[in-house]
Amino acid sequence: MITITNITKSFGNTEVLKGIDLKVEKGDVVVILGPSGSGKTTLLRCINYLEKPNDGEISIGEFTMNCKHPNKQGILTLRKKTAMVFQNYNLFKHKTVIENVMEGLMIVQKKSKEVARQISLQMLEKVGLANKLDAFPSQLSGGQQQRVGIARALALNPEVILFDEPTSALDPELVGEVLEVIRNIAMEGITMIVVTHEMGFAREVSNHVVFMDAGVVVEEGKPHEIFGSPREERTKQFLKRITSNHIA
Amino acid sequence: MTAFLKLLQALPTTLLITIISISIGFVIATIVALLRIYKVSVLTQIASAYVTFIRGTPMLMHLFLIYFGLPPIIDAIAKKFQLGFTSTSIPLIVFVCFSFSLTAGGYMSEVIRAGILAINRGQIEAAYSLGMTTAQALRRIVFPQALAVSLPNLSNSFIGIMHGTTLAFTLSITEILGQANIVASTNWKFFEAFIAAALLFWGITIFVEKLTAVLEKRINKYNRGGVA
Ligand SMILES: Nc1ncnc2c1ncn2[C@@H]1O[C@H](COP(=O)(O)OP(=O)(O)OP(=O)(O)O)[C@@H](O)[C@H]1O
Ligand SMILES: [Mg+2]
Repeated sequence: MITITNITKSFGNTEVLKGIDLKVEKGDVVVILGPSGSGKTTLLRCINYLEKPNDGEISIGEFTMNCKHPNKQGILTLRKKTAMVFQNYNLFKHKTVIENVMEGLMIVQKKSKEVARQISLQMLEKVGLANKLDAFPSQLSGGQQQRVGIARALALNPEVILFDEPTSALDPELVGEVLEVIRNIAMEGITMIVVTHEMGFAREVSNHVVFMDAGVVVEEGKPHEIFGSPREERTKQFLKRITSNHIA
Repeated sequence: MTAFLKLLQALPTTLLITIISISIGFVIATIVALLRIYKVSVLTQIASAYVTFIRGTPMLMHLFLIYFGLPPIIDAIAKKFQLGFTSTSIPLIVFVCFSFSLTAGGYMSEVIRAGILAINRGQIEAAYSLGMTTAQALRRIVFPQALAVSLPNLSNSFIGIMHGTTLAFTLSITEILGQANIVASTNWKFFEAFIAAALLFWGITIFVEKLTAVLEKRINKYNRGGVA
């Protein structure tokens, strides 16, 4: 189980996260919604410690990190327990598809080359890229690159995978293949927190929805609650705007 | 032609000085570049001062400063700790290599720094997100890419330092230019001797350029895409 307590984060004088609390059960698929600039990316980056929160606590299973007094070992542990799928993929440019997936297994988890290769093959099969093992990222479409990104995260068997708008950099016709992969691994019971603007997908795969605005959690609940009968005015406004955008 | 063969005798000296200076310079440059990127209080300032000094003064000056400045310091230290040797027992070429290493380090640090800064922040973040330490991320992800980016400029540094080794001639080290002078003074064919030396340098330079092109092609195959 993952518990995030009172996370705050400022850039200079602007407070971007104003005390975020979040509970994620094992196997949950949590979707975070919110307007641009509401702090969704910042929150995910704080959980992966790519951004240093000013205060608060992050617990994953037995492990707890006090963000006011982080230590190096704690940061590494937190990062090993979480994995990130980036909006713009961030695949290692100088490594082939399979090397991208093997890298963390070999360097972080100290697995032998053979074992790392075996696991990586499985993961790449899962995302439908077993035929692209030796391609470089620059030789792949955006959708393929993002699927490698997912395989790279998945391979390390983290407690939670964080997805930051995994399809928003993709051409519309490539969105489907990536969502398909995410849907499949969601069904395997892998815990994930997903920031997305794909409402249909959010509604279908999530079992918990969080609506954020201006650095706070405005409302959260089951998907049918948030999408069907939102209580807060800001949530209603947002959903109305985003669905009308989609039709247009 | 015989002049040319005689010049070849000096080729190893030139290459030795160049390769040693570039190698040590590369290590210095990497450390200096990292210090300047990861601001480490006073060390960063020392690194910056070193770079501006090296780049702001002629290479021949570095050579003279080391040649005239270092021996008294070494002697003083040797005396203080009773090490039982003097600077005169150190071969001249060591001072030359040391000086040129400092020169190369200063210039190459800017090349390497630019190379590291050219790597998208997302690359190191991806490495961190997997749980890599900074050292692992630098070694596995950032350096290989930065090196590929820097390769043309590093090759330029190599050529620059190689041509610069002719300055060692002023301390009567017989590198190629020194040898040309010796050859010329025996047969009085100055023009031929220096033309031969020039051709020799030109030849090595072309070789280095070709080598760079081959390396570039291999290292950068991931950048071009298209052919899987
Ligand atoms: N490195 C940074 N330095 C300064 N301000 C930042 C930085 N990163 C984010 N911000 C600010 O923090 C706020 C929240 O940004 P964040 O990227 O978390 O929003 P978001 O909810 O992910 O938005 P979007 O839907 O557009 O991706 C924004 O106002 C942004 O300008
Ligand atoms: Mg964002």
